[in-house]
Amino acid sequence: MKQEMAKDSTIKESQPIESQISDGLHNDSMTINMGPQHPSTHGVLRLLLTIEGETVVKIVPEIGFLHTGIEKTAEAKTYHQALVLTDRMDYLSPLGNNLAYSLAVEKLLGIEDEINEKIKYTRVILAELQRIASHLVWLGTHALDLGAMSMFLYCFREREMILDIFEYISGVRMMTSYICPGGLQADLPPGFDEKVLAFTRIFPERLQEYHNLLTNNQLWLDRIKNVAILSREDAIAYGASGPVLRGSGVAWDIRKIFPYSGYEQFDFDIPVGSNGDVYDRYLVRMLEMEQSLNIVNQALAGLPTGNHRVSNPKVAPPPKWQITGSMEALIHHFKLFTEGYRPPKGEVFVRTESSKGELSFYIVSDGTAKPYRMHVRGGSFANLQVLPRMAEGGFISDVVAAIGSIDIVLGEVDR
Amino acid sequence: MFVRAPCKVPFKDCSINMITTAAATVEAVQSKFPQAIVETVEFRDEQTIVLTPEYLLEVCAYLKKDLQYDFLETLTAVDWPERVPRFDVVYQLLSIPHRCFVRLKVRVGQRREEHPIVPTVTSIWPGANWYEREVYDLFGITFTGHPDLRRILMPADWTTHPLRKDYPLSGFDLPEPHWGGQVPYTTDPGVGDYYKQTLRTSEGRELNEKRSQINPAQEPGTTRPAQQAASFPQSREKKKKG
Repeated sequence: MKQEMAKDSTIKESQPIESQISDGLHNDSMTINMGPQHPSTHGVLRLLLTIEGETVVKIVPEIGFLHTGIEKTAEAKTYHQALVLTDRMDYLSPLGNNLAYSLAVEKLLGIEDEINEKIKYTRVILAELQRIASHLVWLGTHALDLGAMSMFLYCFREREMILDIFEYISGVRMMTSYICPGGLQADLPPGFDEKVLAFTRIFPERLQEYHNLLTNNQLWLDRIKNVAILSREDAIAYGASGPVLRGSGVAWDIRKIFPYSGYEQFDFDIPVGSNGDVYDRYLVRMLEMEQSLNIVNQALAGLPTGNHRVSNPKVAPPPKWQITGSMEALIHHFKLFTEGYRPPKGEVFVRTESSKGELSFYIVSDGTAKPYRMHVRGGSFANLQVLPRMAEGGFISDVVAAIGSIDIVLGEVDR
Repeated sequence: MFVRAPCKVPFKDCSINMITTAAATVEAVQSKFPQAIVETVEFRDEQTIVLTPEYLLEVCAYLKKDLQYDFLETLTAVDWPERVPRFDVVYQLLSIPHRCFVRLKVRVGQRREEHPIVPTVTSIWPGANWYEREVYDLFGITFTGHPDLRRILMPADWTTHPLRKDYPLSGFDLPEPHWGGQVPYTTDPGVGDYYKQTLRTSEGRELNEKRSQINPAQEPGTTRPAQQAASFPQSREKKKKG
């Protein structure tokens, strides 16, 4: 063994020194591979970077490593079964996905008017809590990528409180499928208000802590200010949405512009950046968390009473006490879970503002109980496409900052 | 305490100049390009314009320039295997200044046309790049003039298009030694006549059998010597007898 090693080293020494250094180091450019197994690509994203010295000249993102064929799988499921698949797309905000899917199916069925205020308010509370949870993961990992280790621990501490609320209402921490077409899977348990209030009381202080740790921290600002700038025109042309679009100075939020699920009843602001750099996107998300908290407080204060499902037995199962007593209810229940419901022929496109950006469902129905085609427009997919526009011409280390600021979830990119 | 300098919160509820609406867009396109329109559909307050593929670029340029549909939300396709223009290519357009949206469709794919052709819209909306790659990958629709038409989600050496309706749901019928996904590297499960494999016919079995001759003595990753490969089926029969 030792002899072999010695042999190797002698061979290297005997080669002329020029041949040893010519492989890439003294060329003008070099192509290196980043990912798919890389902690700061947030999943299985692969980037082919062409670099000149420390400067990145070209970025070619390669995706598809997490392609699970959710759109194809949904074609073989009934509308209610396909709900479960939506949790797994953007796995950091399953309730946001549930909400978008449910709204699309409800629009297809034409039962939007039957959704009562209680369902709408509950959905808003949960979607906004989910947005905070998703942003917390973003903040923790983004800060971790850029060297602020402790942020990660703080953010996950608060996120756990939100996941506890989800576990309390549905029994599951993450993939709840709690919001479903036709209402909610179950009624809110007693004590839900207190749980949410406990969080909303404590969270402003914690948010202040984050600001103290990062927003006024010169090291943090040096790392993210004027880095990976995305112009307003590029953001629109490339179809960026959500905080990436707003960070570039476009006041565009689906919750305000095409209000859904009763968002028009709440008073909240849309933070908008001006420069389009990582700092603006960071601040937009930080301020968004405040606004989400604001919405949660308003919705919780005005949470009405009512049924947690529509009373239409063709869409939502009748309550348990009816099933045991009424033959008709039993038949409805049986038909619903064996066949599902059949929306009319047609197609809908429903857009919502998810934590990552515009999350839309395009569902085509051919009149059967299964979606003929379900296409998901995820925010991450379009936002990731802009990465080369953002980060080309910057340093390699800024690519990490740019990826973090886009806030991608590869489950949504690849679906 | 907070540093809020570059971020403004200027959003006011807007009843600004809503010049264009979806219905007005449909009318405008109808009057400007009467020959381009196949039909217009309204379902659940959503306007759809079905165009002939020849006029797609012209209409898109008009919508982008004159009616300010500056945001391409998504681009996808729907497969209707029994219909004669087989595919719908669907464009979701959004106008940020006018706050309205419209859906465009073109129908392509004649009978026995393996890869239907649609002109690319990347010159109008650069964001269409990845969406068109996705449609190419999953449906096999070719976008002419696309700057970088490669597969995006499926592996680069895949040969079929999984979101087509005739794609086998149960997977490819691979022969016994490869159950559990142990596909030899040299064979391609997605090779052109894949439908034979799923029919469970003798023909399909033969095809699979032929593809899957592997030599147990062969080191993984090396090329198989020709003689050993020929002798392989015999050794397998022996195994069965034993």
